[in-house]
Amino acid sequence: MKGLTKNIDYFFREIKTIVKLDLLSNLFSLLSLGFIFFLVSLIFAGGYITDSMIRDIENQAEISVYYEAEANKIAIGNQIEKIAGVKEVIYINKEEAKMNMTEILGEESRILDLFDHNPFDPYIEIRIDLNEVENITEKANSLSGVELVRNNKEILDKLKDISSLISLLGVLIIISVSVATLIVTSHIIRQGINLNKEQINTLRLLGAPEFFIRLPYILEGLIMTVLAGLISSALIYFTFNYIYVKVIDFLPFMILPSLDKLLISIFIFTALLAIILGFIGSIFGLKSTKTS
Amino acid sequence: MIIANNLSLQYPEGTMGLRDVNLAIPSGQVVFITGPSGSGKTSFIKLLIGIEKPSTGTLNVLGENMGNIDKKDLQVLRQKIGPIFQDFRLLDGRTVYENVILGMRFLDFSKKFIKEMALETIERVGLKHKINSLVDNLSYGERQRVAIARAVARKPLLIIADEPTGNLDKDNSLNILELLTSFRNSDTSVIITTHATHLINDYDTSMKIHVQNGRFDLEEASYERAY
Repeated sequence: MKGLTKNIDYFFREIKTIVKLDLLSNLFSLLSLGFIFFLVSLIFAGGYITDSMIRDIENQAEISVYYEAEANKIAIGNQIEKIAGVKEVIYINKEEAKMNMTEILGEESRILDLFDHNPFDPYIEIRIDLNEVENITEKANSLSGVELVRNNKEILDKLKDISSLISLLGVLIIISVSVATLIVTSHIIRQGINLNKEQINTLRLLGAPEFFIRLPYILEGLIMTVLAGLISSALIYFTFNYIYVKVIDFLPFMILPSLDKLLISIFIFTALLAIILGFIGSIFGLKSTKTS
Repeated sequence: MIIANNLSLQYPEGTMGLRDVNLAIPSGQVVFITGPSGSGKTSFIKLLIGIEKPSTGTLNVLGENMGNIDKKDLQVLRQKIGPIFQDFRLLDGRTVYENVILGMRFLDFSKKFIKEMALETIERVGLKHKINSLVDNLSYGERQRVAIARAVARKPLLIIADEPTGNLDKDNSLNILELLTSFRNSDTSVIITTHATHLINDYDTSMKIHVQNGRFDLEEASYERAY
């Protein structure tokens, strides 16, 4: 690798020359790669958001116990406190129940003003260890005076199903995208080599080492995928800023992860994917092209 | 420096490029290889720079046996040779300076030395005023001088020019031969192929080899100098 740093300016000038030789085709390849990365970033974001929602719901695992109007809530609460896995018992009265819902609905809570009276019942909120959810639900249900026990296990299970589906879909899409990226990148490299065959042979006749001849092509592939990653990241940035505003407006009760954290995770993921696939695609392109 | 023993080259389709060539070229020589088109001059050059391998016999170039030289050694050997191709093989879209330093970039020279050598050689071939011109915009003769500068700037032990007088009139041919032979020194030999036999009569201190149908015919004086 002697002469690498000495010739770094030359390598970058060569990349510029190689790209300019078939500018339009390279631009289309770049855009295709950008959209491919955008697609995979969306899937990654979907997985990230559902995982984050699951974690949030798990951390806030609670059961709501509704009791008959004439039942003694303190007596029920005392019995619940004795069940294994119960961390805390909180008594929510009608007003607090309405306030909680107002908070969840956000701007849409206007709908509650349409009621002549407070439609919410008082209940007992139980903070629990999520692993004990089934046992606690069963035992609370069997207590006298208890009308309904509602847990968020069903939502959690559904979210977990969605998460598994997204993970499976994600793996399949990442595999397809990797193959597509490798094909596009190696095509870019092959195209560059074919257009520069004469130059490559001249360099060989002058005794240039193989690394000196090949490096501009490897760097070209890397730069193309990194640029595609940047295009994808820009699209992701605008798309998620828009989606978050809309979700907060229309679905205020949705617990979304922090946008900054989501974007940073996507950018890191895209950068790694671009670098790894760019490098492998370039090597693949070089190996699959006869240059002599 | 170059030793050939019973050297023959047969191309895959059966054509004989060279037949039973025996010669020795010591360091610091100017060697003219003359002969009509298709006589075997370019075949010999191809063997010297490792584009072809001997079919029979042996060829030793700068200490390397060209019959069984491996890729790495061939690459190192080529770094010691300054080839000037018939079609020049310049890199279009690059300047005169960029083309000249291209042959030195991967050698063990410092950036400063490369720059100095390139500037000195470009001046010597008379293209100082065109140093930043794209080679695409140069005349035939100027492109040839760029090719010469690229070959010699890297201080090769062997300068090989394939038909440098091919498309030139007499005066320009003589100028180019004068320029090329001026790069000979005690370490560096210059091998020039040409079909213009009449142009080399004045070079009486050189080796002259006439090629006909792949056979080498060394002038008597050349034999004496070589062995």
